[in-house]
Amino acid sequence: MTDVLIQIVASGLTLGAMYAVATVGLSLVYGSLNMLNMAHGAVLTLGGYVCYAAMTLAGLPAVLAFAVAAAVCAAAGLAIYFAAALPLLRSGNFETNIFIATIGIGSVIENLMLKTFGPYPIPQPLAVPGHLIVGGVHIPYQNLFILGVALALMAAVAVLLQRTRTGRAIRATSMNRDAAQLMGVRVGKVYAQVLALSGALAAVSGIMISSIATLTPVMGGDPMLKAFIVCVVAGLGNVYGAVVAAILLGLIEAGTQYVFGVRWSFAILLLIVIVVLIWRPYGLFGRQQVVRL
Amino acid sequence: MSPVRRDILIGLAFLIAAIALPLLVPGRYIVTQSTLLFVWAIVVVQWNLVLGVGGIFSLAQMALFAAGAYATAMLGFYWKWPMLLAIPAGGVVAIVVSLVVGLACLRLKGPYVALLTLAVAQVMYVLIVNDTDCFTTTGGCMPLFGGVRGIGQFGDIGLRALFPSKWYVAHYYVALALLAVAIAFSVVVIRGPLGLAFRALRDNPGYAMSRGISRFKYQLWIFGVSAFFTGIAGGFYAVHFRVVGPSVFSFQLLLFLIAMIVVGGLGSIWGPLLGAVLLMFADEAMKEFSDYRNIGLGLLLAVFVIAWPNGIVGWIDTLRQRRRARKAAAELSR
Repeated sequence: MTDVLIQIVASGLTLGAMYAVATVGLSLVYGSLNMLNMAHGAVLTLGGYVCYAAMTLAGLPAVLAFAVAAAVCAAAGLAIYFAAALPLLRSGNFETNIFIATIGIGSVIENLMLKTFGPYPIPQPLAVPGHLIVGGVHIPYQNLFILGVALALMAAVAVLLQRTRTGRAIRATSMNRDAAQLMGVRVGKVYAQVLALSGALAAVSGIMISSIATLTPVMGGDPMLKAFIVCVVAGLGNVYGAVVAAILLGLIEAGTQYVFGVRWSFAILLLIVIVVLIWRPYGLFGRQQVVRL
Repeated sequence: MSPVRRDILIGLAFLIAAIALPLLVPGRYIVTQSTLLFVWAIVVVQWNLVLGVGGIFSLAQMALFAAGAYATAMLGFYWKWPMLLAIPAGGVVAIVVSLVVGLACLRLKGPYVALLTLAVAQVMYVLIVNDTDCFTTTGGCMPLFGGVRGIGQFGDIGLRALFPSKWYVAHYYVALALLAVAIAFSVVVIRGPLGLAFRALRDNPGYAMSRGISRFKYQLWIFGVSAFFTGIAGGFYAVHFRVVGPSVFSFQLLLFLIAMIVVGGLGSIWGPLLGAVLLMFADEAMKEFSDYRNIGLGLLLAVFVIAWPNGIVGWIDTLRQRRRARKAAAELSR
């Protein structure tokens, strides 16, 4: 019984860590721009493929490939900002329009990868061999590596948000865009930074997800949907809540997978989300915004 | 010309052209593709009511379509219901599903609705595709919802037997009739009290709500009623293709349909229809480059939203307003 529990906790934490990295980017973007980035899944896949290409085709070492993937995806985030978000911010109805536009952009990126790398699954070369034995349970080093990278990244993002000037600008913008602008925060620059950061984080989570599954052009869809669910449960735009919710949902998913089988885990996850939202329409950690009419 | 009269004229012109089409161009391919066009047009016209008029950011439209299609197929397959009864029953099932989804989602804010409805559709897809337990074994193992292969052999509306060589023309006219009803309904909704309520909620939410217009109530209404026609379109789709599979949940199809609405003009009466016609044409013309189809669709969607957020109909409207303004200015200066 304890073995099963250890197993569930180990895989749940790994899942949660991956969701957390994927989610923080989404949550930051929603928090500061009110933008649901539907291209996030495609950017995540792009990160996985760039890492693969850098390691096998260009022969770069793993650390460098990691950096290249993060840089390329950050550039993709910037491109989304300048091509779609910036022009749309000037017109009305931003939330709806950017949602639709990023669905289109995501489809373009995804299908470009399909054309370049083909539809067949490719193993991610960035893998850590070996495993650790805890009370009779094999825990691959890969999972610990994912957990470690995720924790380090979360800490880095927290430091960035809390301790730096950039982070303060980002927080100020997400609290109140107009007030931040009046205080001299260059809101446009903040948006660009946030989207680039979110792209880089997506790259990392893409690499991690593909390292325990495989690389396929459509692999981004499922983690993106789960990242969205995490965001929704935590309250859209709430970054720290998103980390907690991601790890909670990862544990719940691992548990339901063990108890009810893989088939039902997503359905049960969604059921929990709907119940949470009926109980708290703005998410677990979200604060209800009073909208003046 | 009053708006309603203009709508009637446009509708009649479209109807006459559509009735004449199989007589003028009798090729089977064109007729069957147009039938499919009508099915998608019904879906996007109804989706536009939800998305553009009701302001509900629902991505569950294809899930409702699937609910109608699967209900029709399963009633026919398991209980041998005649299709003429099963298709309306499919519409009712779609209403029930939409009300359940609506009660769970519609009280939430816009983006939450989009994500939850997308997740609901995805869960339905995953549950259907991953189901491998045999429910019946008549004619091979079949899961309750047909699994990956879908459900077939559930009967027909009888037009294939009635017109053995021209059944596809008969189906064309059935689809056209369904589309005509769906469009007439959308005109009534947009020009009628429901549309007025939504316009009031959009123009001045505070005043509208203090006059007793409940956003939630009207959104649930429009969500449910549009689900009915979507479900019927799904039922017809099932009968027409003689099979329903999980492919109706595909994201590419969702992309294709949402592109129709956006290109034509979100929230307008004729925009979705125009978008459906244009995109079906473009899709046919680009058949040779089908590898690039989804890249093209994605680009089209992004470019239209960014450059012409109100679609072609919105663009025409601005042109007309500008011309009217110029005319008025010319009269003033005279």
